[in-house]
Amino acid sequence: MNIGLLETGSGSWNAIIWIVMVVVIGIVVLWVRSQGEEKYKKDTNQTKPFLSGNPEVSKEDSHVSASHIYWGFTEALKKYYKPLVTLHTGDLNDYSGWIVLVMAIILIIVGVS
Amino acid sequence: MKFNKNFDRSLWVFHLNTGSCNGCDIEIVALLTPRYDVERFGIKLVGSPKHADVLLVTGPVNRKMLPRLKLIYEQTPDPKAVIVVGTCGTSGGVFYDSYNIVGPVDKHIPVDVYVPGCPIRPEAIINGVLKAWLKLERVRSQSLEKTQKK
Repeated sequence: MNIGLLETGSGSWNAIIWIVMVVVIGIVVLWVRSQGEEKYKKDTNQTKPFLSGNPEVSKEDSHVSASHIYWGFTEALKKYYKPLVTLHTGDLNDYSGWIVLVMAIILIIVGVS
Repeated sequence: MKFNKNFDRSLWVFHLNTGSCNGCDIEIVALLTPRYDVERFGIKLVGSPKHADVLLVTGPVNRKMLPRLKLIYEQTPDPKAVIVVGTCGTSGGVFYDSYNIVGPVDKHIPVDVYVPGCPIRPEAIINGVLKAWLKLERVRSQSLEKTQKK
């Protein structure tokens, strides 16, 4: 009787071998860990990463924002993109003015044709 | 010179330039060339102070490098030895009264070995490293004795 044995057309898997391997690998990992430096001083700079002697930057400061992903896009379409940015003033009166202006042009075109 | 059995590891060295003119640094590089080849003694330059037994400091300490010197010293695991290589790190050298110099090195971190010279000969550096080696060996055997007593 094969306990935990799974055989398929593309191979086999045995639960007991898997458990034994997990235990063996775990022992090896713990042994390697036990060989590490045990005399390091906790709560000092010894536990912080070595960045060529520079202080560690906070996670917020080292974060790459999503706008960086679009850098190439905006750089390539700079000529088109810059006038659009200047048009977006954030003033609702400006936007309403644009709607009136564009609608007037459309109505003129539609009326003429 | 005989090393005891407690010193069973190679000596790994982290080199830190705190404003040197590169004269001393070139001599350190010369140690790795086939002419001197310190790696045959197990002495090796490493890229991180976390892997080092010895901190090899060159140059007078300028203002920008001071916090880095202190941080790197703290990040070097114990037991460690500090070697100052060159006249600048030892006394400030020709830069001793510069507005930008806050050295010498021993004003800010404890130094074990001084190797004066401008620049130093590679043989002098090897001699300095051996002196640091003996210091580390002494510290290690003392800590081993303490552990055995416990």
